[in-house]
Amino acid sequence: MTQKTKDDAELDDFGRFSEPALLILVSLADGPKHGYSMTEDIEIIASVRLGPGTLYGALARLEARGLIEPLKSEDRRNPYRLTPLGERALRARLDSMMAVARAGQRRLASA
Amino acid sequence: MTWLLRLYPAPWRERYGEEFAAVLVRQRLTPGLVVDVVAGAIDARLHPQIQSSNQTKGEDTMTFEMLQRCAAGGPKLSPSDRRIAYWLSIGSSLAIAILYIVLTKLYREAPAVQAVLWTSAFFPNFIYQQMVYLKKRSWLTQGLVLGAGLSAMYLFMVGICLLGTHLHFPGRL
Repeated sequence: MTQKTKDDAELDDFGRFSEPALLILVSLADGPKHGYSMTEDIEIIASVRLGPGTLYGALARLEARGLIEPLKSEDRRNPYRLTPLGERALRARLDSMMAVARAGQRRLASA
Repeated sequence: MTWLLRLYPAPWRERYGEEFAAVLVRQRLTPGLVVDVVAGAIDARLHPQIQSSNQTKGEDTMTFEMLQRCAAGGPKLSPSDRRIAYWLSIGSSLAIAILYIVLTKLYREAPAVQAVLWTSAFFPNFIYQQMVYLKKRSWLTQGLVLGAGLSAMYLFMVGICLLGTHLHFPGRL
């Protein structure tokens, strides 16, 4: 088994917020968004509607670890964007998920 | 619906309150939404990710506060803190004594009643300590920590009393 990369480990210790955190990072991958836009976008890409408690629990963790950052805004809807660290963590996590998916599909095909 | 925001700690509201409210008002009020917000508030209190503007990272922990007080020779209690702790100790002792008498009259020596007696031995000290070390926290946090701590202690005592009631040693009466 390959060793977990340092960037991939950035998303560890999120507990029940690990899946919402990953979805938020994916949502921000194509540009900054504010909270409500993220909820809508995540519902489209993953068919999951994050409640505000879950969304902001994950956002607070991602911001505290420096994976996302808020942008200045004139209204009360603060947009967020990925930081370089957040982008690396997302790439690393997606790579490891793809490796697992490929292995699973290979095994199912040969079963 | 934004009244639900009051469940969150003040530093959290200061940082995310407005944008959270902007998201919240666009949602349909359902029991699931309320559960999600309440669970988020409990998480924000148990695992604070942000500090208030007059705190630096790591200061907002009970351990840090206790270490600071130990280093300074113990808790620094103002006369008002002392009065609160004193009346809480006396008040809680009286309340638990009355509760025990009433429960004994009603249920005699049931394990759940005996557990009240044993829990009461720690009760005033527990409340006093918690009020001292949690005094900078909100009443809601104090209530949650006290409630959870005392409930856990009571359940532990119920377990001990049940064990004592049902434990039989071979060869003994």
